[in-house]
Amino acid sequence: MTTVATPATRALRFPNLAAWLGVAPFFIFAVMFLILPTTSLLVGAFQNHEGGFTLSNLARLWQPSIRNSYLISIEVSVASAFLGAVIGLALAIAALRGGLPGWVRPTLMTFSGVASNFAGVPLAFAFMATLGRLGFVTVLLRSVGLDIYAAGFNLFTFTGLTLTYLYFQIPLMVLVIAPAIDGLKAEWSEAAEILGAGRLQYWRMIVMPILWPSVLGASLLLFANAFGAIATAYALTGSFLNIVPILLYAQIRGDVLHDPNLGYALALGMLLITGLSNVAYLWLRARSDRWLK
Amino acid sequence: MKSGKLGAWLAMVLGVAYFVAPLIATFEFSLRMRRGEYSFDAYRVVLASGTFRDSFLYSTVLALVTIIVGILVVVPTAYWVQLRLPKLRGLVEFITLLPLVIPAIVLVFGYIKLYGSSSILPLTATSLGADALLMFGYVGLGLPYMYRSVDTALRAIDVRTLTEAAESQGAGISTILLHVILPNIRSGILSGAFLTFAIVIGEFTFASLLDRPAFGPYLQLIGANRAYEPSALAIIAFALTWACMGVIQLFGSGVRISVGKR
Amino acid sequence: MSKVTLQQRMKLFASMAAMALAVGAAPALAAPPDDLVAAAKKEGQLTVIALPRDWCGYGALIDSFKAKYGLAVNELNPDGGSGDEVEAIKANKDNKGPQAPDVIDVGLSFGPSAKKDGLLAPYKVSTWDSIPDSAKDADGYWVGDYYGVLSFAVNADIVKTVPTDWSDLLKPEYKSSVALAGDPRTSNQATMGVYAAGLSTGEADAAKAAAKGLDFFADLNKKGNFVPAIGKAASIAQGSTPILVFWDYNALAARDGLKGNPKVDVVVPKSGVVAGVYVQAISAYAPHPNAAKLWLEHLYSDEGQLGWLKGYCHPIRFNNLVENKKVPAELLNALPPAEGYAKAKFPTLDEQAAAKDVIAKQWDTVVGATVAK
Repeated sequence: MTTVATPATRALRFPNLAAWLGVAPFFIFAVMFLILPTTSLLVGAFQNHEGGFTLSNLARLWQPSIRNSYLISIEVSVASAFLGAVIGLALAIAALRGGLPGWVRPTLMTFSGVASNFAGVPLAFAFMATLGRLGFVTVLLRSVGLDIYAAGFNLFTFTGLTLTYLYFQIPLMVLVIAPAIDGLKAEWSEAAEILGAGRLQYWRMIVMPILWPSVLGASLLLFANAFGAIATAYALTGSFLNIVPILLYAQIRGDVLHDPNLGYALALGMLLITGLSNVAYLWLRARSDRWLK
Repeated sequence: MKSGKLGAWLAMVLGVAYFVAPLIATFEFSLRMRRGEYSFDAYRVVLASGTFRDSFLYSTVLALVTIIVGILVVVPTAYWVQLRLPKLRGLVEFITLLPLVIPAIVLVFGYIKLYGSSSILPLTATSLGADALLMFGYVGLGLPYMYRSVDTALRAIDVRTLTEAAESQGAGISTILLHVILPNIRSGILSGAFLTFAIVIGEFTFASLLDRPAFGPYLQLIGANRAYEPSALAIIAFALTWACMGVIQLFGSGVRISVGKR
Repeated sequence: MSKVTLQQRMKLFASMAAMALAVGAAPALAAPPDDLVAAAKKEGQLTVIALPRDWCGYGALIDSFKAKYGLAVNELNPDGGSGDEVEAIKANKDNKGPQAPDVIDVGLSFGPSAKKDGLLAPYKVSTWDSIPDSAKDADGYWVGDYYGVLSFAVNADIVKTVPTDWSDLLKPEYKSSVALAGDPRTSNQATMGVYAAGLSTGEADAAKAAAKGLDFFADLNKKGNFVPAIGKAASIAQGSTPILVFWDYNALAARDGLKGNPKVDVVVPKSGVVAGVYVQAISAYAPHPNAAKLWLEHLYSDEGQLGWLKGYCHPIRFNNLVENKKVPAELLNALPPAEGYAKAKFPTLDEQAAAKDVIAKQWDTVVGATVAK
């Protein structure tokens, strides 16, 4: 420690004070622009139409149709998060560590940036134009004798929707896991080679444990991303797949049902599920941290 | 390592095929505006509009400001949480996930209620105020991605050692963050910046309900009941956004100070 | 488009008076009062919401309003639904900025419910008497603006035999072809589509017709003819939804927008013709109430009403205009044949509520629920 007590170093002598000050902007921002606006409306989950207090909206969440929609939402989110994480990780490793030419990395990164937000109506339409009955790829395959629709494929299903979701899930994974892959030091692979480890052993025993917490965190992000996504699902399978954001949408914005209090209760339910998945993630993190030590 | 390279190329080719196919389909459709032949008519219609340039410019500037504010909010937080306040990690991460699941319409109505013209902080009453409100909203929307990227990058470097080494040289906090930490998490910041940029350019609900002349509402306006123009617009927006990211990438590359050999 | 004489058309629309219209023969007032215009100009701007420019010719109407009175118009959320508009009024109760809507254009059932919630301000336009009683609130809180009927927008390049009625849609030649333009649980247009299908089976009671409509769509889905995507002009052109159940004004606007590429036929079905009325209202919290009143005067003037007709929407004062020979022949001829409209059913508020209740709640179980993995 230096003997000259400048304001900066003084702060470092009371590190926790500096830390609390350092995170203050974040919390102020969160309260002002995330928490307060949300709670000011979500309090409606506990109100009835006239404004009086009620728990009936929450009770209605337990209806089979709404329970079912939460289930489907979770299924679609888990499927696209899992596949997105696996494929995204593979792509990122291939681009960053696969010995490919130097222009591949920046191209993949910038493309992923754009593709990660290519969602909603344009994406749904793009997939209809690609894999719909008269889609570009469908017609192409039919011309070489492969009729995917005769084989049972249909874009407007759970499978089709997951396939469409991957278009923004995979790039998201690539972008978010890239810094972690960058952090893999060259010395480690060299040391592993010297000690006689094969490529697979290197990946399994050295890289995966190191990457694991970041992969987990990224997967959670992918899950929440899919869970909250509505525009794409609505445009593609709008009247069919009963995911929660669509129900929410129906209650708050629609022409027909319009029970905003139920809509807010649905939103509260979504927050709860996100919170639970966050807890699960933290628990898994803690376990893997212990194992790594 | 030959098999490794082959595997890498295979992965890239499959990936490219998946991502490029829908783009080709969209592009092919956008060329069909003139009956019976391919033409760029749809593009001509779209680009002829002056609103296109103005709204894209507005959104680009807004995106850049959002990125800077986002970095200022996220980097110190991720740093301090990792260094000194690990118990806060769960709470902070939960907060960063909120923007993903709270419907945009709930957030923006909340903003109007809290910062409307008759509240303590009447942001909606002035043009600049509404711009600021929109920007803060966008920082919120980009928060999950910015935080996750920066956090991943911080995890990959040894924050504790770097800080202690810098402290022992007499560096203050701002020096540490700006000159030691920031250059080392460049890739994380770039990832967060890309994701935020793309979000802001395409975002519709906030901009429309706050009555701001952004690109998202313009896209909606053109796309509403047309067939070919929206496809052309999607391709143009995709290309333009990609170009902007290329520029950000160039800016962010610079000299890379890494702790280990590449 | 058949060339129907003015007289024939007048006869048919006179028969629609059977739905209890009290059509006043009073001619429309020429211009809004000067002090209203002055007050509106002082306010300087108007904020509208959920008005797509291609819907009922609103783009041209907004532009003519701007040109005539020199006011600025803020167009919020053109993609919004009726629920959005009502929620926007609620959220902006204390906000006088340009985010607060002054006027709303919502489905019929939203008029009375918004009035009950105290969200509307009453105003009777100068042409009030020429508007049918069944299409306006007695106290002036809301007033019907236009109506259209549900039709099929058909991509004639892909679909070789154009369907003429609901029962045709079940034919095997229409595999993966039929779509709705919205989600029946959220969109008025889609719900009325299901209801119309039920009406075409001959069932008159609203709730029962709704149930029959659900069965129809379940059948359509089982046969593989139904496409669950939300249809738009783009998907008609691309071919994933070559037969779309669309309000006639939307279908005609799409047809025009596509300019023959592809060729689009707009067909009013032989049975099960349902008309949907939309209503205009002023927000009780409007930051620019005089501009709002002026806007209403603009819309309900002859010029405004014909503006809607140009957008293929039947304006609420249609009969009055026709009687006073104010409608140009070419506008009349651009509409689908009048016989289709003669049988149109205008569901009352109660009937709409009953149908919506059945459809929104049972759509999943009867048509959708089992997720095709």
